[in-house]
Amino acid sequence: MNGCCERIFPSKRAILGVTLALALAVSRVDVRGAETSHIRFENGQKQSGVTFVLDNGTLPDKPMIDGIPGGVALLDYDNDGYLDIFFTNGASLPGMVKGGPNFYNRLYHNNHDGTFTDVTERAGVRGEGYSIGVAAADYDNDGRTDIYITGFNRNILYHNNGDGTFTDVTDKAGVAGLSSTGKKLWGVSAAWVDYDNDGKLDLFVSNYLDWSFATSRVCGAPGKRISCSPTLYQGEPNILYHNNGDGTFTDVSDAMGISQHIGKGMGVAIADYDGDGWMDIFVANDNDRNFLFKNRAGRGFDEVGVESFVAYTENGVPVSSMGVDFRDWNNDGKPSLFVTALGGETFPLFRNEGNGFFNADTYAAGIGFRSVKLSGWGAGIYDFDNDGYKDLFSANSHVSENADIDPQQHYRQPNAVFLNLHNGTFKDVSAEAGPGMQIRAAHRGCAFGDLNNDGKIDVVVSAIGSPAELLYNTSTDTNHWILIKTVGVKSNRDGIGTRIKLTEASGLVQHNHVTTAGSYASSSDPRAHFGLGANAVIKEIALKWPSGTEQVLRNVKADQILTVTEESSR
Amino acid sequence: MRAAVLCFLFGVAATWPAFAGSCSGVEDQLARVSAKLTRGDVTGAEAMLGPILAAHADCPENLLAQGRIEAAKGNAPAAANFYVQYTDLETKDSRGFAYFGRLFLDQRDYPKADALSAAALEMNPNDPASLALRGQMLAMKGQQSEGKKLLEKACQLDSNDPEAQYQLGKIFDSEKNSVAAVKYFRQATRLNPSDARAWDYLGLNLEPLGELETAEQAFRKALAVNQHGRYYDGFVDYNYGRFLAKRNQLPAAKQHLDRAIELAPQVRAVWYERAKLNLRMRNYQQARTDAEKAASTEDPAHVIIGLQLYSLLEQIYARLGETELARKYADLTRETPPPVRGEH
Repeated sequence: MNGCCERIFPSKRAILGVTLALALAVSRVDVRGAETSHIRFENGQKQSGVTFVLDNGTLPDKPMIDGIPGGVALLDYDNDGYLDIFFTNGASLPGMVKGGPNFYNRLYHNNHDGTFTDVTERAGVRGEGYSIGVAAADYDNDGRTDIYITGFNRNILYHNNGDGTFTDVTDKAGVAGLSSTGKKLWGVSAAWVDYDNDGKLDLFVSNYLDWSFATSRVCGAPGKRISCSPTLYQGEPNILYHNNGDGTFTDVSDAMGISQHIGKGMGVAIADYDGDGWMDIFVANDNDRNFLFKNRAGRGFDEVGVESFVAYTENGVPVSSMGVDFRDWNNDGKPSLFVTALGGETFPLFRNEGNGFFNADTYAAGIGFRSVKLSGWGAGIYDFDNDGYKDLFSANSHVSENADIDPQQHYRQPNAVFLNLHNGTFKDVSAEAGPGMQIRAAHRGCAFGDLNNDGKIDVVVSAIGSPAELLYNTSTDTNHWILIKTVGVKSNRDGIGTRIKLTEASGLVQHNHVTTAGSYASSSDPRAHFGLGANAVIKEIALKWPSGTEQVLRNVKADQILTVTEESSR
Repeated sequence: MRAAVLCFLFGVAATWPAFAGSCSGVEDQLARVSAKLTRGDVTGAEAMLGPILAAHADCPENLLAQGRIEAAKGNAPAAANFYVQYTDLETKDSRGFAYFGRLFLDQRDYPKADALSAAALEMNPNDPASLALRGQMLAMKGQQSEGKKLLEKACQLDSNDPEAQYQLGKIFDSEKNSVAAVKYFRQATRLNPSDARAWDYLGLNLEPLGELETAEQAFRKALAVNQHGRYYDGFVDYNYGRFLAKRNQLPAAKQHLDRAIELAPQVRAVWYERAKLNLRMRNYQQARTDAEKAASTEDPAHVIIGLQLYSLLEQIYARLGETELARKYADLTRETPPPVRGEH
């Protein structure tokens, strides 16, 4: 193993010998081929000390904004090796101010024992205005994770001071989320991405629509108001900020071909979908065509959603796209898309064919009939049972609090998990995934990551009006795993955008990439996760850094959190 | 005089013997005849009516039953003749006007059906037949909520009228309330298992509820009972084909969509769906033919909107390597705004 790699946290399973692992590998077909699901989630919120309740400040007329919050971030802000949790929160309406502690954004420090401590006040991150989304990454390459918050009337960039506190540097950095005419746009999601591979993380912000209380429409009957359709309002342009490397950013939305495309931006995810070494950006638009911004070698973007067949469903119409994840779920090396939407629409699953086209596999993959009954927000493509095949997760709820006047719609819904059956199809295993997956709530954003460093991907879900859920992955499988923490040197410090190809001893090849973006308005574990089935040793891990550096590790032990520092260019 | 008015209105020859006799003693039998007719059992009703006609030739109710039998057989002039006689004799019985109105509805003579349904309901606002017909007419005229109320009342007063159940189910279907729609379509199919339309709608509404196997059975039943006549459904193959495509049974889906095109080549949606299926099956040239046919087919109801067509054509041309055409339709797709919806 390469000397640059540091084993951070040993797993109990690491004591298993290689011989045993190889023996188990022989039987992996049986282990992996079964449709029996081992996926389980247990809500650890009650004993955690995390008391956060998302407050949307709703009013009787149910204005557009009250359905749109809120995001979750999993980040290790104090570099202690454990993920902490950040929640965005709403504000009182119509004033759009955080009029009390119930509206504060919250930062919880992970105590490493299943409990968390609210450090919001000490950290200075309670926020201002009506917050929606969050994106966490180390934008200034100082080794400390910073936080960017999107919102209706205030976007905030918090610089991590390294002492448990943060400083609002929004104005200095120039990332307030304003249009070219100075109008504050309604920010929803954000993604840290080094689009020009210059070693500094840039910032993409999705913006929703042009709404205000002055122009607000009212829908539904008095006393049973429901959220109006976004088609009643004009969309807003998204923003791309280029990182100047001196703590400031430049709005390059016009020059890079971003702002010309007006949508109703919700979730954002990044991936190098065409394998050209440049990260591309997908924007889920609500009731409008989705955008796929294809990166022209850092010199600009072409919006190719229509040409790539990801703008619409297979029926040629847009859906209420909410959340999105952009990863390789069929181990073909090509990142594909999983999008959440509202009831009656299905959750589109766009399979990347590798030729510039995507195929709408929603029904072919077996999630159409099930997801048509769900309304989803947070979305993730992760291997929850560590069998080497990524599964799907959606955080569910209808947008309208009074949605239940339609007997087929439900405001409070349980979340859903779809097991990857290794043949291009999925099976809804939510009902058997434990009590944590049966909680009916107004779920919104969710973030994915390994909260307790046990090698299993956990999920933290925010919910309007009820406690956030800390869904610990208690899956009953005995599969191996690895988490890869990338440390960029020439590339950005977080290694965001690094593409990782993992080859198991059995020959199975998996792909993932480093990103915190995805889901809905949320920010996930930057460590790239792989489930390894019965393989206790990995044959090869190949990393392609954004700088172009290629790095290969061989015969790596499983069941560890592996820190890989970018090698000098060869 | 009423007969004369009806003759004038509807052009029916007024040459019938007078009926003024009693129906005493056969009321129950006639009620059973009526019930059989309501449930579509024409043969059974005819067999039961024969002895009544022989024994009580002057019973006016016979005329109503005979009219309904002829209507069910598709013999509209004969049915009209009986209905005119009946309404002339029983001038205050709303049922005569209601069934007469339904005859006109079956003949697609909507103004007359509308007028008679209104008259029938005015005569007796608690007559299930009148309520059912008027409710259906109002729904057809776009007064859906008013129509729904009348149909709900009709179903409450007479839960054995499959047509009322079916029509109410259709309203719930249009409201995308599949839970309620299934309830009424189930009842409609229970009362009249030969109604292919109701089976088809039942399948369509079971699907969003996730009851896939039951939906499959309903579609199959619709196909099995589908015969030309009052309960014929020209879109069972279309709906079943789409359903099978979602279930990844592509060759079977293709068979049904092929058949759908044979049955309804004038409908854009059937060409569009087969084009989508051919695209999925990688029959790109066939997909192109179907999609271009869809584009050239009128669709006044906008079942398949322009955006859907442009998006499909763009995909097909791109797959075929027809770069210019693909670009043209990509541009059209981008220029076409998505449909506006009021509520989220």
